[in-house]
Amino acid sequence: MNRLSINPDYCKGCLICVDACPGKAIGASDRVNPKGYTLPAERDMQQCNGCKLCEIVCPDFAIAVEIEEEKS
Amino acid sequence: MTRHPMLKYLKEKGPAGPRMPTIMCPGCGAGQVLNYTLHAVDEIIHNDGTRKEDFVFISGVGCSARLTSHYLNFDSGWTIHGRSLPIATGALLANPSLKIVVFTGDGDAMAIGGNHFIHTCRRNLDVTILCINNGLYGMTGGQVAPTTPTGTATATTPYGNMEEAFDLCKMAETSGASYVARWTTAHPRQTIKSIKKGIGKKGTAFIEILSQCPIHMKTPPVEMLRDFKANTVSINKSRGHGEDKILIGEFCHMERPEWTEKYQKILEQFD
Amino acid sequence: MAGPSEKNLLKPGVYYLQGNQACAEGAITAGCRVYAGYPITPASEIMEHAALRLPQVGGRFIQMEDEISSASVLLGASWAGAKAMTATSSPGFSLMQEVISFAIMTETPLVIVDVQRPGPGQGYITTSQEDVMQARWGHHGEGSIIALSPASVQEMFDFTIEAFNLAEQWRTPVLVMAEETVAHMREPLTIPPQDQIKVVNRKKPQDLGISPEEFLPYGHAMVPPMANWGEGYNVNHVSLVHHEDGNVTKYNRDIHLDSVSRIQQKIEGNTDHIARVETRFLEGCRHLVICYGSVSRTAVEAVMEARQERGIDLAFLRLVTLWPFPEKKLREIVRDVDTVFVPEMNLGMMKHPITEALRDRCNRIVPIPTLGALHSPEMILSKIYEELK
Repeated sequence: MNRLSINPDYCKGCLICVDACPGKAIGASDRVNPKGYTLPAERDMQQCNGCKLCEIVCPDFAIAVEIEEEKS
Repeated sequence: MTRHPMLKYLKEKGPAGPRMPTIMCPGCGAGQVLNYTLHAVDEIIHNDGTRKEDFVFISGVGCSARLTSHYLNFDSGWTIHGRSLPIATGALLANPSLKIVVFTGDGDAMAIGGNHFIHTCRRNLDVTILCINNGLYGMTGGQVAPTTPTGTATATTPYGNMEEAFDLCKMAETSGASYVARWTTAHPRQTIKSIKKGIGKKGTAFIEILSQCPIHMKTPPVEMLRDFKANTVSINKSRGHGEDKILIGEFCHMERPEWTEKYQKILEQFD
Repeated sequence: MAGPSEKNLLKPGVYYLQGNQACAEGAITAGCRVYAGYPITPASEIMEHAALRLPQVGGRFIQMEDEISSASVLLGASWAGAKAMTATSSPGFSLMQEVISFAIMTETPLVIVDVQRPGPGQGYITTSQEDVMQARWGHHGEGSIIALSPASVQEMFDFTIEAFNLAEQWRTPVLVMAEETVAHMREPLTIPPQDQIKVVNRKKPQDLGISPEEFLPYGHAMVPPMANWGEGYNVNHVSLVHHEDGNVTKYNRDIHLDSVSRIQQKIEGNTDHIARVETRFLEGCRHLVICYGSVSRTAVEAVMEARQERGIDLAFLRLVTLWPFPEKKLREIVRDVDTVFVPEMNLGMMKHPITEALRDRCNRIVPIPTLGALHSPEMILSKIYEELK
């Protein structure tokens, strides 16, 4: 499965990544960073197709997708 | 932890301490445009042999300008309000092989820098202009801009904006830019593709990116991005329909001799 | 940037040129390879000559849409490694103040020539020294500049070269405060052999063995080494208050005071190295004429005549450099005089720093102001005779 990496120091909780995700793999979490911003989190990574839109649309370079190596 | 792939192009910290997170407000479109730009630049560096040190990023003043400030791990200049294009002109005259990308805003490009914008397009200087149009002055507190829609209330139009908004793309095209396109922050892949084309174009490339200012428009960023999708129509699909919508797409993509190329002919007379 | 194309430089010899043309030739000799400008009387011949000559030596000329953009071009050109110049006249000089301020803070070497004409407003198109205070104090904020005051066609050539050298040496904007008188004057110009002309180039981190990883764009020295764009040093030029590494987020007042004081002190603290004066008959003199620019041409005649015709013990002092103001030098060489005459083509501007410098070294300071035309020797003499009778 692909994994998400969220940098709580850079994230400002805009949740653009959540809205951009075509598969609803990401969701808003109940985690809040020290500045009070709501962090996104993995919701259902089965739905992640690896398009990396979340990574591309993030204004703060705070989310990254780790694509699972294909098993040969 | 996997790091964002574009962080390799940013100065996260230096001897004087950390430089990130960026100064941009939560959900600001400017950060998205930086992300799109770095994706385009990354593809160019990997695919066509352009060196990282050939890129120069220049900005003026305003929210858009903060993209260069001190984050970019490239040659860059965070310069004077409205003057980023003449400064880009100077760099190009000194070294025409530089790939110059200018970040500007609607106020920076078309109000204080309007005259320079027109003449840069007219000269068809080899510069890629990325105009982050949020329809107001964000940095100074949400005042009216030349691009603010008629009727909008802002900090300096408390009774509603009575003036007409500029169409930046029409201005760029009429003035002579070789490549002109408009997208929004809700069109990431199109924007990245367009920025790549713009940087590859020998001549002035003008790309307007409609962008959200969630703070001054008092609207959540996600809602503004949805509105961008709902309120725009591709120039290829419009065909007279949806004229109440904002046209997006490539308006102009032509070959015209570029300024330094023409000057080269003069230089060759004295070789 | 291609190096200077030696073959199309003016050959050594004596030429008969206009001051404005000599200025453009001086720039080319100094290595100027980008020129941007906007036409204005009485400075236009500089850009016309640059338009003709720059491509001949591998440089590029551009006529911009106004003076603001003309000065702005110099910033980008300088950062990309070129020596760059613009020339204008007083109203255009007003428009360039923002760039001067920005260039001070970003420590950008560039040269601006102001062929002064009378103001305020459109004023007139003749000669003037009315911008000498604007040169120093016109830009917003702290920081210092260097300003030279040429008095002949030869000096329009020589001082323009010196202006580039000073700009490169001190990483600062340098102003050539010319006047219409010398700009439109025609007289012989001697071009020395190229190897006898001193040309200074900026110090680069590469020269000092500083790698891109170690490089601090505003650090390392009183005058920081400067990497050009395109060389892999990832230089961010910023004019917000910044740390040595260019970081702008960690604002604190100590950094603010330290960085701006350094920018000020690299010029003011080196006044003795930068500023020049010329003197005649100064040793033990009783009275003194202090002047600068083309006024020194008629003032020296007046001094000679007053000495010869009336036996007045009158000396001559010319400020070659207007800014940084050579206060210390002035106080060293002027010990105890009675009257100091200050003829200027304004209503009394450099009179102020002169008064401050000589506050306890003379009994009185007598300005000899005029506007729009050079003082005749008689005009200066009549004032001297009137005051000393």
